[in-house]
Amino acid sequence: MTASPAIAPASTGATASALARSLTPLVGLLVVVLFFLAVPPHHAVTLEQVRTIGVHAVIVGVAALGATIVIAAGGLDLSVGSMIALTGVTASLVLRAGHGATTAVAAAVAVGLACGLYNGLLITILRLPAFIVTLGTLGFFRGAAKWLTSSRTVSAPTLGLESIVAPRPPAPWMLVAPAVWILLLLAAASAFVLHRTVLGRHALALGGNEQAARRCGVPITGTRVAVYAIAGALAGLAGLFQFARLQSGDPTVAIGVELDVIAAVVIGGASLSGGSASVLGTLAGAFMIAYLRNRCVVMGWPNYVQEMIVGHLIILAVAVDLWRRRRTG
Amino acid sequence: MRTRRRPFVPSSLLALLALLALPACGDSSSQTSTKSQGQGETAESSTIRIAVVPKGTTHEYWKSVHAGAVAAERDLRAAGTDLEVVFRGPDREDDREQQIALLENLQSGGFDAVVLAPLDEQALATPVRRLEDAGIPVVVIDSGVAGTPGEDFVSFIATDNERAGGLAGEHVAKALGGVGRVLLLRYLEGSESTTRREKGFIDAVTAGGGIELLDPARHAGATRATAQEAAENLLSSLATESAPGFDAVFCPNESSTYGMLLALRQRGLAGKVVFVGFDASPDLVAGLRGGEIDGLVVQDPIRMGRLGVEAAVAALAGTTVEPRIDTGAVLVLSETMNEARNLALLEPDLEALLGAEGR
Repeated sequence: MTASPAIAPASTGATASALARSLTPLVGLLVVVLFFLAVPPHHAVTLEQVRTIGVHAVIVGVAALGATIVIAAGGLDLSVGSMIALTGVTASLVLRAGHGATTAVAAAVAVGLACGLYNGLLITILRLPAFIVTLGTLGFFRGAAKWLTSSRTVSAPTLGLESIVAPRPPAPWMLVAPAVWILLLLAAASAFVLHRTVLGRHALALGGNEQAARRCGVPITGTRVAVYAIAGALAGLAGLFQFARLQSGDPTVAIGVELDVIAAVVIGGASLSGGSASVLGTLAGAFMIAYLRNRCVVMGWPNYVQEMIVGHLIILAVAVDLWRRRRTG
Repeated sequence: MRTRRRPFVPSSLLALLALLALPACGDSSSQTSTKSQGQGETAESSTIRIAVVPKGTTHEYWKSVHAGAVAAERDLRAAGTDLEVVFRGPDREDDREQQIALLENLQSGGFDAVVLAPLDEQALATPVRRLEDAGIPVVVIDSGVAGTPGEDFVSFIATDNERAGGLAGEHVAKALGGVGRVLLLRYLEGSESTTRREKGFIDAVTAGGGIELLDPARHAGATRATAQEAAENLLSSLATESAPGFDAVFCPNESSTYGMLLALRQRGLAGKVVFVGFDASPDLVAGLRGGEIDGLVVQDPIRMGRLGVEAAVAALAGTTVEPRIDTGAVLVLSETMNEARNLALLEPDLEALLGAEGR
């Protein structure tokens, strides 16, 4: 609510500086990559490891694309981890009932969409802060996932879905897992929606300054509900990937993933107060988190080192972003 | 700005109320009561109520503990004891807080005895002492808790985990002919039973001197998903162009074994390196049958659940109970898995034990 109004998209005159700004999140990723190359014993990154890191970034990445749009619109979604569990469990139950892979994908995305709609409607109808509503639905969706499965893991035939998210792609020419390509395509689509469509501009306007947006005729309610619905559908796809990875539906999976998701968006340079976000930055953030986890293993550092590093990385990323904003005015 | 914010005040109160209501319904999600209709309300005073508290409810292993407890309940009832067993636990195996809160709720909930699989050796010691002080005997199963069995709590009924890990270590050393590189994926920081398995494994596998142990101090974490990610990172860090970088691998529980199985399968290493895991679930048994897993160390969780309830009833009746009971562990190899005794451990008929009441 405190950010300056950002109703008009970047004007053509500022294209060059906008391009430079949109690439800054990649600088962060590059710095982290170079850091680990510089630390002895200078472990190179093998293709196998790139593939592994890519797959590890997919679930957080896909969910974070939705969160990017939500955060751009000045919102927040804490329920995304629970949505991943609920939709993953949905996919496993659909497959166990004997339906095909396409039905499972559709069911997971549809349930995710419904969850997102529920969030959006509660926020707009009850006029509650998103933090409170999604904190509530975090518990509700998690409970629903446990209820559907009696709190146990559900094994189900994966019908080839597992090959989408396996680190080694089914064909060598793909280089990385199909899910990583899907993530990149969805990122391109999200960037298009955010910066080149009416909905995206409305979302940014809403996040920048709600009052100004309202006076300019932005349909506040519709935009807000749509934004959460999109985030829900993407979380549904992330849930399907989570199911395919585990080859079973686990109602306790992805607890705390919402924090990784928000971290990826924030590391990517989005402002938590809304009005600005970078899809490219979010992607970089998701890959950076997965990369750090992988490097800590390669370096032989214990789990706690990685937790301490990722924690400070978030703080550092936001500090740098704020410093840059203050400098550019 | 100000005018728009006004409706926020009453609605924030509503939200606060809703939040306050949450814990009240939170821990009933994983309850499976075996109480039959009409019973318990009429004869509340004479019915012995025993709570069985597992570490989590998502792992197959706890389903077997549940089945054993239900079987004991049925047999004791048939023998004339008016008994009700309630099975209730945290959903996730690293949620110490939820398990402690659960024990506190049980204490005030009118239970006569508790059979507990503690999530943490230290964190659960105080709640156990409080229950005992309140006159509610505690039988500890599966994993240890700080204190002396027979004094601080009734009895410790569990697998001798160090020996169980040793079984895996001896097999790996033998399978490799005493020479090779052996990888260990640990389970979770602070988990007593698995730490002992890891120690037993390390001692046994390095006893001959020819084996190099790769122990990168990696912990698989509480779920299958975290285990899979840890295993994939580990394998990709060890692999060279031509070789996997190790000859054998051991994982100390069900979720870490499953995560490692998925990672090995993905890299085409399943069945090519010696792989010994711990505990049984349908997915792991399928891996054993397909030759992807060489061996599984299996415990007897049904027996653990059964003996736990029996010990609790005995303690309430004032009978002395052995302070330490070993429920045994067996290494089942792919070649020996079809022996009747092993099949009963790998694929127990839980539905029959749970009866019509369970799922």
